[in-house]
Amino acid sequence: MRPARFDYLAPTSVADVVSVLGADDSAKVLAGGQSLVPLMNLRLAAPTQLVDINQVAELDFLRVADGDLHLGALIRHRRLEFDPEVARVAPILAEAAGLIGHPQVRNRGTVGGSLAHSDPSAELGCALLALDAEVTVQGGTGRRSLPIAELFDGFFTTTLEDDELICQVRVPGTVPGRGWVIQEYAPRAGDFAVASVAACIDLAPGGGCVRVRAAAGGVGPTPIDLGSALGELVGETELSEGLLRHVASRAAEVIRPAADLRASAEDRRDLLQVLLVRALPAAWTRAAGSLSNGGAR
Amino acid sequence: MIGERVTRKEDVRFLTGAGRYLADLRPAGLKHAAILRSPVAHARVNGIDTTAAKALPGVVAVFTAADLKEHSRPLSHRLAVPGIRPLEWYCLADEKVRYVGEPLAVVVAESRYVAEDALELIELDLDELDVVTDVRASLGDDGEESAPLLFEEWGDNVFYAGGFANGDFDAAVARADGVLRETIAHHRIVGLPLEGHGACGHFDRTRGELLLYSSNQQPHNLRTVVADVTALPLEKVRVIAPDMGGGFGNKQHFHREELLIAVVATLVPDPVTWSADRSESLTGSVQSRQQEHDVEVAYRSDGRVLGVRTHVIADLGSPTLYFSSIGPALITTSMLPGTYDIEAFEYRLTGVATNKPPMGAYRGFGQPQANFTIERVMDLVADATGVDPADVRRRNMVPDAPRPYFSATGNRYDTPSFHEQMEVLLDELDYPAVRRDQEEARREGRLVGVGLANLVECSTANLFGFCSQFGGYEMASVVVQPNGHVSINCGTKSQGQGHQTIYAQIAADVLTIPMSAIDVSDGDTALLPHGMGTWGSRSATAGGGVVLKGTRQIRDKMTAIAAHMLRVDGEEVELSEGTFSAGAGRVTFAEVAHAAYLQTFLLPPGMDPGLATIASLDPGLADPFPDATGRMNAGSTFSTAAAAAVVEIDAGTGQVVIRSFRIVHDCGTVINPLLLDGQIQGGFAQALGAVLLEEVVHDAQGQPLTSTLLDYLIPSFSDVPRVHTHHREHPSELLGGFRGAGEATTICGPSAIANAVHDALGPLGVRVLQTNLSSRSIREMIRSAGVKPDPFARALAS
Amino acid sequence: MREIALLVNGEPVSVEVDPREHLADVLRDRLGLTGTHKACEQGACGACTVHLDGTPVLSCLLFAVQADNRSVTTVEGVGTTEDLAPIQRALSERHGLQCGFCTPGMIMQALDVVGRANGGLTPERVRHEMSGNLCRCTGYVSIVDAVLDAAAESSSVAAVPDNEPTQAEVSG
Repeated sequence: MRPARFDYLAPTSVADVVSVLGADDSAKVLAGGQSLVPLMNLRLAAPTQLVDINQVAELDFLRVADGDLHLGALIRHRRLEFDPEVARVAPILAEAAGLIGHPQVRNRGTVGGSLAHSDPSAELGCALLALDAEVTVQGGTGRRSLPIAELFDGFFTTTLEDDELICQVRVPGTVPGRGWVIQEYAPRAGDFAVASVAACIDLAPGGGCVRVRAAAGGVGPTPIDLGSALGELVGETELSEGLLRHVASRAAEVIRPAADLRASAEDRRDLLQVLLVRALPAAWTRAAGSLSNGGAR
Repeated sequence: MIGERVTRKEDVRFLTGAGRYLADLRPAGLKHAAILRSPVAHARVNGIDTTAAKALPGVVAVFTAADLKEHSRPLSHRLAVPGIRPLEWYCLADEKVRYVGEPLAVVVAESRYVAEDALELIELDLDELDVVTDVRASLGDDGEESAPLLFEEWGDNVFYAGGFANGDFDAAVARADGVLRETIAHHRIVGLPLEGHGACGHFDRTRGELLLYSSNQQPHNLRTVVADVTALPLEKVRVIAPDMGGGFGNKQHFHREELLIAVVATLVPDPVTWSADRSESLTGSVQSRQQEHDVEVAYRSDGRVLGVRTHVIADLGSPTLYFSSIGPALITTSMLPGTYDIEAFEYRLTGVATNKPPMGAYRGFGQPQANFTIERVMDLVADATGVDPADVRRRNMVPDAPRPYFSATGNRYDTPSFHEQMEVLLDELDYPAVRRDQEEARREGRLVGVGLANLVECSTANLFGFCSQFGGYEMASVVVQPNGHVSINCGTKSQGQGHQTIYAQIAADVLTIPMSAIDVSDGDTALLPHGMGTWGSRSATAGGGVVLKGTRQIRDKMTAIAAHMLRVDGEEVELSEGTFSAGAGRVTFAEVAHAAYLQTFLLPPGMDPGLATIASLDPGLADPFPDATGRMNAGSTFSTAAAAAVVEIDAGTGQVVIRSFRIVHDCGTVINPLLLDGQIQGGFAQALGAVLLEEVVHDAQGQPLTSTLLDYLIPSFSDVPRVHTHHREHPSELLGGFRGAGEATTICGPSAIANAVHDALGPLGVRVLQTNLSSRSIREMIRSAGVKPDPFARALAS
Repeated sequence: MREIALLVNGEPVSVEVDPREHLADVLRDRLGLTGTHKACEQGACGACTVHLDGTPVLSCLLFAVQADNRSVTTVEGVGTTEDLAPIQRALSERHGLQCGFCTPGMIMQALDVVGRANGGLTPERVRHEMSGNLCRCTGYVSIVDAVLDAAAESSSVAAVPDNEPTQAEVSG
């Protein structure tokens, strides 16, 4: 199990990366390598040109500005898991990061790499979709930003052009009254999620739900936006069993699950409902808690 | 030292990265092999074009079956028993391939990277054939048109057919209050030592000698096979098994690749090494356990089982395996009665070929399937009669006397009371309290279950019964160096069990010197005439026994020398703490050793100098083949255990959590409780994996879907709870009183867990008739019972 | 082929590598440091864990060229026969190893877990933080015990092995 031969470049600027990508459409970006290299080891991927972006310093930043979290593409999952700013501004991301693979994988795996890999069971994409994150990419024709929902195209494919590189992700910061949750089902700790849900519920000071954002992973070719299915929560002041059952079954209708080793499509619809029934009350309770302690986490 | 929790002598080298495993060996000029494997499950091989591969810079040689035929003899399973097909094959597939992963060609190159590059340049011309992956379809029992034949010359896909009857099952049915008829499915898993198998060979042309390093549990027997396949004289073949990264039975076989490397090494000038990568070990090594048991049980309404009749259908994959892939199934049928006194016992055994990798040994060697089925039967009878599962077991248990007890199939149980053992377990478990807690949990809507399993474990078999050669004995050399240091070499082969430590403990007890003065080695055919290796819980019994015997021989000679030096009779001499003494006279162990080599005038008249022996010991009792009635005692001795699992199941996700696992275990004299606990705990992890996580999956075309550790899931840190272990020690009749250990939890763990799962799912009407209890399987079983998964099912507290 | 400079277990090394060579293979094949084992080549078992600038990484998923000008610590740099590190002693005392094949990777990850423990390790935390390392022999509990023992022993001791250089030392 050894990779095929490739040429290796390690540029130090985004511009140089983009120009290599533009010049060679078989070139592949190497970020953390925790998804790409396993495929290369099996020779299921055999890029002839590898562009290592680990030395592009301008992609390695994490800052909070205007209440939002700005993540460079090279931020490692392990940083998200433990960084106090992430915990404060986007706590769901810290928890999502802790669910990605194993510690050694998180030590190397990057935000940009995970998004570019576009694995529909990836925790990060699911969480960022529930957070309405925005992705900035740079290509030969310049920079552009797009809602994360428009990044994912299908199983392991994105809408990026061949010469485009994910540079950063802007994550809207949490607000008082927002409760969050991410839950997944996997056979073992650290395994790919068979199904996962991430949700943010906003409660108004009176206690009513004013906004729901949610996404599901592992149950379609991309992370699936559950916003429409869960929309009926808005205006409700209490998460009754009947309501929960109703929105969970709505959600099971909007996903597009496939069958694999771990679950049939029908099975995934059922698992999603189990997860939602367990997850949504947790987000609701957090939201109520956030209101009562003035918006702190 | 026997019985003490001493830490291991072998640890320091492993802890510092100084272990030397196969892939760590770097003889000068080393070349690397890579193996081209069949991409399809069944095909006729029209041709293999290696031209481009040979032309790749860095490639030393490329061989196909055609290239090797004149340089090697065919392999064979050798097992000569009635009902078995003779079968020969070559290291590389010749006219046909019969499973995905079957070796077709080998490249030798400067590096593994280049060797794998060359594999991509080999062109295969294959005519694909229909594929059969299911035993019923392979037998033509599924109503479909006739199955494709793996070996056309057989006319069917039956590799082995046999049967046995004791007592009168039909009469038992006539007397019974009820008859259960079920099929129990044992799914396919793989032993998966973390280090895959492999070999490194070097042929010295001048001397005509082949040195083969191999990660193999039976280096001496491998040497015999290598000599056979390479047609080299036995004395010109030396096999060394270096440090081994696990074995678990998977490395008990003589793999095609090891023999391939041996043959290739004779054809290229430099040493050649090959190690299975993970995908190769998951698709091209032996796999295990897959059987279906059609079982009929005649029972009385009080829970007494009057008779059992079973048809064991073993899915052998392609039975192209040296020492036969039917071996484990022979033990399954032999051990099926378990700890229960079942007079009317009949079985049929059908070994069926399918387009999957060969079935082979894995920890327990057929016994996990036997234990699972009979323990499932006890609980199904409990269900059918309303008698508590513990009472069903009490009513069917082998009586406490007489001993030895002979089971229906001829096994000679030399064991203590099974009744007493189970009662100890139930007391420690507080069985009534566990049942009360279960009732309480059920009222709360939680799925909690309790499962029991009793175990009698065959130990120290005679290999002859499984490959019509080799045996059940063991050898060890014991040498006292002139300075009093002791060197022991044993024919067993440690794969992680800690033989260096336990043999040193045994020797230290006999010789009364510190363990630090005793070195133990193994795995080198140049250092010992023969040995049977390590498998079947035989190392403590046969290996420990022969070390005991050899060190006693040495001690006796040293005592005689000491007596002469002290001018007393031998009986007056005592040996303790490394000193021979008689009255006020004293002479140390080292002084006697010195005298034996360097002051031989001190020896008694006529005594030969030196302190060295090659001891051999046959524990005996285990039969080499069945008698005229088909009965065969498979073990020299038997270990026992009783186990209980308490589980809770998340009806939403199907996840099974083991709340507790308890075992009362008896392997006779305990050598080292620290290491024994490690065997119990580690064996339990494999038991848990076998039922809750692991599954080898092939699609209908025979393509493996579980070819990496991302797909084939073994237990991880968060999955395995601590086992509560209680060791009882009833010494066996064998030298040292050992019974053998290491497989108990692997054998009875799946049964206890499955019984607990069945118990937990009772309220949903689910019956467990399979070993595969992955969360997916549990969800499917719940659905099949007509229950819609409830999203409000209670989540488990962690 | 290109030449790379590494600081391996505190020793500067330069070695010619093909870009496709795993760090694990360069350590094993070129530098003779065979304590680092490969057991899955998919990042799923942790056996090949080494420290890259003090952080545990999987050396079967890292190309050696990526470690150019950086420091690498392997099991050979952790303790010696005469002077085992606390985690090494604890693994032996708890019988936290059998075949030993996973052990070097376990040790490298455990060093990081112990180093970041801050006195707050629980068995659950150890299981979580060690979850990327598979063992087929022990059934894990003895390893959990050993990590907790080592953490208790190391609580007042610097967690990074003495010979593991800082980033500054490497770049300087």
